[in-house]
Amino acid sequence: MLRKLALGGIRSRFRDYAVLFSGLVIASAVFYMFMALATNDAFLKSNSPVSMTSFIFGFGEVLLVIITMVYIVYANTFLMSMRQRDYAMFMMLGAKGRKIAQLIFIETVSVGLLAAVVGVVIGMGLTGLAGNLLISMLHAPATHFSVFWAPALLWTFGFFLAMFVLAAIVNAIRLLKTPMLDLLHAATTPNRIQQKKTVLFIQAVLAVILLAIGYWAMTQLAKLQMMAIGVALVTIVLGTYFLFNSLLVWLIGLLKRNQRFAARGLHTFTLSQLSFRIRDYTKILSVVAMLFALALGALTVGLGFQREIPEMARHQNAYDVVTIAASAKTQKAAKQLTGVTAKTAYTQKVTAKAVYFDADQLKAQPLQFELFDQGKWQHVTVTAKNFARYAEDGDSQLLQFRIPADNARRLQVVSHAAFIAASGQTRQVMTYQVRNFAANYDTIETMVTQQNRQFGVKSSDQSGQKFTVYALINSLYSGLAFMGFFLGIAFLAMLASTLMFKILSGASFDASRYTMLQKIGVRPSLLRRSVRQEIGALFLFPGVLGITHVLFGLNMFKGLLQQPYGNLLLPFGIFIVLYAVYYALTVWLYESIVIKRDRHE
Amino acid sequence: MQTQPVVAVNGVTKTYGKPNEKQFQALKGVTFSVQPGEFVGIMGASGSGKTTLLNILSTLDRPTAGTVVINGQDVTALKGDRLSDFRAKQVGFIFQDFNLLENLTARENIALPLALQNVSHAKQTQAVEKIAATLGIEAVLDHYPTELSGGQKQRVAAARALVQEPAILFGDEPTGALDSQSAKELLNTMASLNQEQDVSILLVTHDPFSASYAQRILFIKDGQIGQELVHGDKSQSAFYQEILDTLGTFQQ
Repeated sequence: MLRKLALGGIRSRFRDYAVLFSGLVIASAVFYMFMALATNDAFLKSNSPVSMTSFIFGFGEVLLVIITMVYIVYANTFLMSMRQRDYAMFMMLGAKGRKIAQLIFIETVSVGLLAAVVGVVIGMGLTGLAGNLLISMLHAPATHFSVFWAPALLWTFGFFLAMFVLAAIVNAIRLLKTPMLDLLHAATTPNRIQQKKTVLFIQAVLAVILLAIGYWAMTQLAKLQMMAIGVALVTIVLGTYFLFNSLLVWLIGLLKRNQRFAARGLHTFTLSQLSFRIRDYTKILSVVAMLFALALGALTVGLGFQREIPEMARHQNAYDVVTIAASAKTQKAAKQLTGVTAKTAYTQKVTAKAVYFDADQLKAQPLQFELFDQGKWQHVTVTAKNFARYAEDGDSQLLQFRIPADNARRLQVVSHAAFIAASGQTRQVMTYQVRNFAANYDTIETMVTQQNRQFGVKSSDQSGQKFTVYALINSLYSGLAFMGFFLGIAFLAMLASTLMFKILSGASFDASRYTMLQKIGVRPSLLRRSVRQEIGALFLFPGVLGITHVLFGLNMFKGLLQQPYGNLLLPFGIFIVLYAVYYALTVWLYESIVIKRDRHE
Repeated sequence: MQTQPVVAVNGVTKTYGKPNEKQFQALKGVTFSVQPGEFVGIMGASGSGKTTLLNILSTLDRPTAGTVVINGQDVTALKGDRLSDFRAKQVGFIFQDFNLLENLTARENIALPLALQNVSHAKQTQAVEKIAATLGIEAVLDHYPTELSGGQKQRVAAARALVQEPAILFGDEPTGALDSQSAKELLNTMASLNQEQDVSILLVTHDPFSASYAQRILFIKDGQIGQELVHGDKSQSAFYQEILDTLGTFQQ
């Protein structure tokens, strides 16, 4: 009979359970995704030139554990709020305390465990999908990357099991302590919350101080080393929490007291909804702000590293690819190049002692060198006049104009007449410059491989091609870019599920309020506007704070990236668009729950 | 007395269920009217169709056939925003479970219908205080609903229903969740609102005592109006006795 009642409870609140369950599944999936990287030392070491990476991931673990814990606590409160009336009913029907405790235990732990199992499976799927997609997109070797990673599996199960067993115990104790009548009438919540002004003020001051310390610590990474990250982690998490706890409550109070604003339309209602929300939501909003910062930060840094690769390669070589006496296959591949900005042909004459360039040809189309001179990257154009001067410095630049067989031959520029007169074989050299190296990566690789095979280029120091340099830089940086994107995706998923979970889990309580408003004649359009404003505020605040965190946090990457603040528009733009889409989705879901369609329509 | 009735219900039927499914007819052709300034009671046992009738009257539901005209407006033809505005301006409700917004204070609850019409703050305050004085709830205006007693909550709900001066006040078992003292007070207030301020009231109830405050009582059974009692010059206790007698025979 009890089992029938328990299952009946689930059926009648299927939507709420679906929200709860999908939220927990995402949480465990993301937990697994993160752990699959964080506990994989071999992966971290081989993919990051930075020795601190595994430490950074260690701090990440702490942060994720805190975040997931808050999430699970909320999920449990939600579970209990759904179940306590049923439990009270069982007790009324004569179920003993022990039996109830048992029921709670089984239910809570099985929800947690089931979520962990499904989550891990989805986590593996996401890890595989995101991982392989990123590996092929970034041409990242990502060695030792593994979709199925036993330590991550153990961690996820262990953590979820421990959290839910703990939650079950707390739930049972709390439930059995509460008087039965209170449980039966649990839906009505007390509403006047005494907020002491001094406490509010102290929290606001603390928030500002803590955030300032955290932001400062992130600029001092070079000096403080690991300490900086630890300090920033603690202060920013606490600061975020206090900020939401104090500033927002104060801000809403201020708006509410502004009678001209509050007395219009549904403003009072929206503000009241928010002020109750904010108090109830402080922890979740802090978590969302942190997740927002982590996801956006990871994405920005990932993009930064990815952008760094062609940027650095650009300074190594002016030409994206150079072919010498291209074979048919190479020529065929060359036709596949896209976005070619410049394509130049040179004729070389190969004699016994030298390889000649024609001075007239160089005059018409000078060679382009990238040189590092006097602490600066310089772009120089080379003709017959200055060839001798740069030939020495720019030896690496000239490498691509000869083949291993030319080893004993000197590269020289001779006058047109001498060029014609010289006896030897002529060969055609083609230089290509493209708009986007990464987009042509595969084509260029084919061309270079063909050339290497044709001329017997064995090692990278025999090939002066940009591709070689690019591949080298890529192997260093793409691992970091990979981590950035991967974590960006993971945190974004978690962010989405956290806020949506919290908003939707309260929706069934809100539904009655919106029905009342409809009954007293509030236009549906006005209700929708109120919903949009209310949820908008819940999205906006953590968003703004998250962006601020990222803007300061990018300081940490000054040592790793040449321009951590360069080109922020792209990652921020992508992220804000995603966030907006997700806002629209939440509004749509929430409206479909709380705003009943008029039966007249 | 040939004034236009404030509520005119004509041949209203309501059938639940789709044509090809099992159907249930909750209302089988109900016709009656309420004159301005009248206090009409509608009585019936549970399942008699009185809730369906009230939902239709209050524009929350739509009849299968027939018309409902409130203050000269056929409400069955209203849709969307016009329907919402009609609800906001022309009808006031008091429900058994109060239907107050528990995240707003009593004052904010009462002012809400005015705020929706963008009435200025000063006028809102004035109107709220006036109606609060009439209903005797000035002292609790800044409390939240959870801090009020049932009787106070219902008075706040009544104040919110009346603040716009609607054409008609609908009560759906407003005393259902109140103790007898609060119930009596609320009914006295409603009666005096009706007599002194000419508020038209339609009260749906199954409680004979509440009904005895009305000037006229319609009995509904199995979706039809069966009988009508008129208060007339009888004393309230005599009318109460008459209601009890009628119920005794009517239900059989």
